[in-house]
Amino acid sequence: MMDEIKAKIRAFIVENFLYGEDSELDDDTSFLGDGIIDSTGILELVGFLEETFEIEVDDEELLPENLDSLDNVAAYVARKI
Amino acid sequence: MPENTIQPKLCQKCVLPETFPGIKFDAAGVCSYCQKDEKTIEKAPVRKAQYRQRLDQLVKETQAEARTYDAIMAYSGGKDSSYTLKLLRDRYDLRIAALTFDNHFVSPAAYDNIKKVCDALHVDHIIFKPPWSVIKPLFALTAQTDPFAAPTLLRASSICTACIGLVKSLVLKTALEMSIPLVAFGWSPGQAPIQSGIMKTNPRLIRMNQSALKKALPVEIAASITPYLLPDQYYEKYDHKFPHNIHPLAFFDYDETAIKEELGTIGWQAPSDTDTNSSNCLLNAYANQCHIKRCSFHPYVWEIANLVRQGVMTRNEGIEKIYTEQNAEMVRYAQTRLT
Ligand SMILES: [Zn+2]
Repeated sequence: MMDEIKAKIRAFIVENFLYGEDSELDDDTSFLGDGIIDSTGILELVGFLEETFEIEVDDEELLPENLDSLDNVAAYVARKI
Repeated sequence: MPENTIQPKLCQKCVLPETFPGIKFDAAGVCSYCQKDEKTIEKAPVRKAQYRQRLDQLVKETQAEARTYDAIMAYSGGKDSSYTLKLLRDRYDLRIAALTFDNHFVSPAAYDNIKKVCDALHVDHIIFKPPWSVIKPLFALTAQTDPFAAPTLLRASSICTACIGLVKSLVLKTALEMSIPLVAFGWSPGQAPIQSGIMKTNPRLIRMNQSALKKALPVEIAASITPYLLPDQYYEKYDHKFPHNIHPLAFFDYDETAIKEELGTIGWQAPSDTDTNSSNCLLNAYANQCHIKRCSFHPYVWEIANLVRQGVMTRNEGIEKIYTEQNAEMVRYAQTRLT
């Protein structure tokens, strides 16, 4: 299931922030540290997660350890669903 | 068609060109971004209503705890930020400090509007202007190269990204220092998706953002802008005071003609001394031209395409905004100052 979650998130990031170029994106690449997503982009990611996985992300959960790499996001989503 | 237009193949529905990264067209010539956006646009009215309620609630909660001001507004004097200011005053009666970042290219017309609007709305105004010795190298660099991460280029020119990075940082810094719970921006619904309309800022996310901004720049320039970024100790010192960012135009009604009319009642006038996309910054035409030359698409095309899809403007209006040559005199003016 984890792989499936990660694949969906990867597809979203590649399509919306890397515009189809996924060569730069490893599972542990830092979205913010590498400038792939800025703080506004994080909210677009959150919107996608809430819709796709039917979860609710609280303000207090907007943390790097939940949202700042494919690994982190997938683990976070897996905990929530 | 006027002589001074440039026309690549465009999406038949919005205004995105074939040169836009990642774009694909279907048999009818409609782009992949338009197709992807259909569901979002369908759901927009319901979501916008939810966000308006959320803001009502947030204002109620924060007004009780704010000390001097309820909100600080990143204020350029342009149509969108002026209207946001009016909306926040009219609807919520917020006590607002408006902060204008003077990047040495603020037009005289913008200053006229700023004075009129702040007086009419009873808003305190702060001007923040770093010395030319800090500003010039930053803009001269971003006029020549694109130092920031590739995705930033899809939404703005590197000159704008650099400038806005400083603006965001300064309003946040001021909000923390003055215990202001809300930070307002006038992003149009084309620039800000609805779900970005209200966001609690998080110290660690901001910290990563700021270090990415610095890391992208040469050491000397990074050092010269450091005083305008958040000092390291602020992240802990103000840990529990990080404000909410709000982008009200993402979820309130947005009609350009109505907005201009309403602003007219408080003395705001559409300036004529700037280019077609920005009503306040004399650097904008040059920034656009640099971006178009390097990236082969206009830095505002993403925003304008969104506005066309949302029905805020017609496709023809969008095409005129995006595919008209930059004003040569404006380009020369900024270019000369930066070389
Ligand atoms: Zn399109």
